[in-house]
Amino acid sequence: MDEISEEDQLDRQLREAAPYLDDNGFTARVLHQLPAPGRTRRSLRGAILLAAALLASALAYVASDGGRFLIVAMTRLAALPTLWFFVVVFGSGILVMTAGAVAAIVKASELQS
Amino acid sequence: MELIDADLVARVLVDDDQHAFGELVRRHQSSVRGMLRQLTRTDVALADDLAQETFLRAYKNIRSFRGEARFSTWLYRIAYNCFREDARRRKEFVGIDEEQLQAEQDPQVVDSALRHDLMHALSLLPLHERSAVLLCCQNGLSHDEAARVLDIPLGTVKTNVLRGREKLKRTLAEWGPN
Repeated sequence: MDEISEEDQLDRQLREAAPYLDDNGFTARVLHQLPAPGRTRRSLRGAILLAAALLASALAYVASDGGRFLIVAMTRLAALPTLWFFVVVFGSGILVMTAGAVAAIVKASELQS
Repeated sequence: MELIDADLVARVLVDDDQHAFGELVRRHQSSVRGMLRQLTRTDVALADDLAQETFLRAYKNIRSFRGEARFSTWLYRIAYNCFREDARRRKEFVGIDEEQLQAEQDPQVVDSALRHDLMHALSLLPLHERSAVLLCCQNGLSHDEAARVLDIPLGTVKTNVLRGREKLKRTLAEWGPN
């Protein structure tokens, strides 16, 4: 038992004896020597996302018989009473704004950390 | 919200995010540089050069980090390999100059101001014991993790830690008040 606590004490002393080394520009020197970040990977990712979005749009257009659902939806919207039309537009705006604000807050807290 | 090492590694992998890698360097620079200073027997310039090399290698090979071990353990392994390669280049690796260094740094002739200096006592240990004690006792790695870092059998690590501890205690007792 005594031997174990003696070992623990030695380990603790060793940890305490190791000083914290201030960075003093060490990280900056390392970062300076890193190879330039690969732009190709980012642009490739962007291209893939764009291609996927275009493909999905094309598929939706074909599957919906030339976008008929859009025309039907717009006609229904136009037929709504003015008050309801205002409520739908205002509600959509609030929804989009809230989603944007949440995304911005999450991104900001990530950048701060 | 503080990101854990694994999140930062993921950012480096996915976005090639050098800021995330910078954060990893900032977090681990002290322990890696401290370990290398002990391994190089407090040759600060050499230790910092090796530490830089360690982080550069880590960045270039980050895809080989599979997250099975802690990121720090993976870094220690790279650092130890950098040290070993450099020591081989300098023909100073294990055993070759150990006896000579041991004689040069005989505890009996150590400056009295350093008598209670644990770090100095640690630097007197032979390399294989020093590295095992450094990793397990000072940096808190398990014996298993240290075995992976040093690339030696688990039993050897345990023996080296045990012997290193014994020698440290003995040295400190010799330096202690009579």
